[in-house]
Amino acid sequence: MHSLIQALILGILTSGVYALMASGQTLIFGIMKVINLAQGAFVVLSAYLSYSLLTAWGIDPFLSILITTPVLFALGVGIQWALLRPLHKDDAAELSLLVTFAVALGLEGLLSATYSTTFRSIQPGYENFSWTVLGYQVNAVRLFAFVLSLLMLAALYLLLQRTKFGRAIRATVQNPMAAQLLGVNSRLVAALGFGLGAATAAAAGAVFGIITPFNSGSHYDLISRLLTIVVLGGLGSIGGSIIAALVMGVGTALVSALASPIWSDFTFFVVLLLVLLLRPQGLLGAKIRGAL
Amino acid sequence: MQLRNLTSPSGRRRGLVALAIAAVAAVGIAGCTASPSADSTSSASGTPLTIGISLSLTGDFADPGKAAQRGYQLWAADVNAKGGILGRQVELKIVNDASSPDQVVTNYTNLITQDKVDIVFGPFSSLLTIPASRVAKRYGYSFIEPAGGGPKVFAQKLDNLFFVQPAPTTNGGDVFADYILSLPADQQPKTAAYLKLDDPFAAPIADNIQARFEAAGIETVYDQTYPSETADLTPVVSAMAATNPDVVIGGTQSLDAFGIVKAMIQLKSNPKWMFLSNGANSPVEFPDKVGAANTEGVFTSGDWYPGSTQPSSAAFIKSYAAMFGGDANSIDPTSAEAYSAGMLLEQVADKTGKVDNATIISTLHSGTWPTLVGDLSWDKYGVPQGEYLLTQWIGGKLVTVYPDASAQHAPMAPKPNWAG
Repeated sequence: MHSLIQALILGILTSGVYALMASGQTLIFGIMKVINLAQGAFVVLSAYLSYSLLTAWGIDPFLSILITTPVLFALGVGIQWALLRPLHKDDAAELSLLVTFAVALGLEGLLSATYSTTFRSIQPGYENFSWTVLGYQVNAVRLFAFVLSLLMLAALYLLLQRTKFGRAIRATVQNPMAAQLLGVNSRLVAALGFGLGAATAAAAGAVFGIITPFNSGSHYDLISRLLTIVVLGGLGSIGGSIIAALVMGVGTALVSALASPIWSDFTFFVVLLLVLLLRPQGLLGAKIRGAL
Repeated sequence: MQLRNLTSPSGRRRGLVALAIAAVAAVGIAGCTASPSADSTSSASGTPLTIGISLSLTGDFADPGKAAQRGYQLWAADVNAKGGILGRQVELKIVNDASSPDQVVTNYTNLITQDKVDIVFGPFSSLLTIPASRVAKRYGYSFIEPAGGGPKVFAQKLDNLFFVQPAPTTNGGDVFADYILSLPADQQPKTAAYLKLDDPFAAPIADNIQARFEAAGIETVYDQTYPSETADLTPVVSAMAATNPDVVIGGTQSLDAFGIVKAMIQLKSNPKWMFLSNGANSPVEFPDKVGAANTEGVFTSGDWYPGSTQPSSAAFIKSYAAMFGGDANSIDPTSAEAYSAGMLLEQVADKTGKVDNATIISTLHSGTWPTLVGDLSWDKYGVPQGEYLLTQWIGGKLVTVYPDASAQHAPMAPKPNWAG
């Protein structure tokens, strides 16, 4: 019982980080129907940036998010503007897969050249600190990360629901043509939306880099997790991706702790297959467009 | 005794494919006939003694491959400064195999048949040593190799092979079992937990300890094998911690070892003894990754380490620093193992006055040979007959604590709690 609850705590806290990464992924899909294969690489890039800021200037990884978020936002906007926007409309969805994958490989190469392939971890000095609560250990970093994820997701929600820009994004998601007719600059929205999705990687990267050792090749594992979370949650649904991240985080932690880590990823894919069989649109994916 | 084989997850898959290719290639070569004689070169004094080596200067094993290269180069420089071997200057011919078992076969074949080197030394990793040693065997060359200690290397039953480490890699933890079982019965642990990386060079080390412990009545309360892809070991460690074992044994490589330690710190899991087969033996990386204060009391094992008391160690560290810079802590044990390969050749020449391959093979099969990595001796298939040293982190340094004859410090038990 003790190890079950301990694993549950771990799983819930870890899932916050994945929810954050996946929310950006699903946002990008929602707006542009682009499956962004570079999201994992954005996370790894952010982890390296936070790592460098800590080692070079002693900037705390949680504080470094304030610097890395605008950088990733600008990078996202730039990539959308330079590489995705010019794609021919009819096959943009397919081609964007290749383009974003190329971006991921390019980033991987750049990071390998800059940092070598040695595994790094962000060590702010308090990474192993944990509180004992009723006999259970609550790791401070994971708790901070979880709270941070909730804050970021709440901010994302407010941005989408309460601002004019958010309304423009939602309108573009629901019907790009109609939105354009009503005066929404859908090209600008697409670029900013892609930037926003990439920006979520900044916070996720800082936390990811504290929890797990990473190198330039870590994005393959990440992107496969993110894609499954996004599909499980329902493509385009931020709420769905949060629930899916919880399912994955808790599921893998429980299976690892109670059975074996060999089966943890497999179990998640079984859940994914079942959901897809019974509910092809994913947990919260709406059948109509515009689930944001 | 550091990573001895395929450590990176991606390298591993590629490695398997490459292994298959190499197996086919090796069979193909073995099927051919005609072999030039191994002792076709003259051994006249004055002509240089050429030693051919294939090393992984790029690819998965590039880091340890370069460490081995430094060891070989340093030895050659040292022996040449002393006047060479039997008056002949040593000339190394090092070629790159890019960590490919396919290329390593080509390289040794070329070194032997075209470059007509006098001697060959081994490459890095068991994966490459296996096909390479077959080539050497075929041409009647001795094969002194510092970095291929997996069971499959010895399963080939080659009589020309000599592994330049104290014991087969998978027996790396036996010395810890010796130490624990040497304690009075009432001071021995009652319960043990085993965490094993699913890797041919990690899990078997823990398996061997487990077999000894279970035979001695130490109850196994947790036993888990995890795949190398496991990014977060915290859930596994949380389940392990719940069993509250007296002793924790990790059959680990490096990243996973650091992950286990960090998770144990976070979960405040404090066993009385803790042994990690790899990862904890890295003098720089381990304190860097887990925090220097958290190293205290962790056991690991090794052959050469910066605090080694082998008589030749001080001179080795000094000439290493002169040639490559840095301090003792920056020396990879692989460099010491490669250096030791050369020391063996030197001793054979001194003892017999000859350096031909047949003499090397017959001479090394008897007697005990002092090197940086201990006093070595082998069975007829090149399996070293010694044991690694049990080392422990005490006062921020790795020191030998067992066996008693080599100990610099008494073993520290129980291990202090994690510093946090």
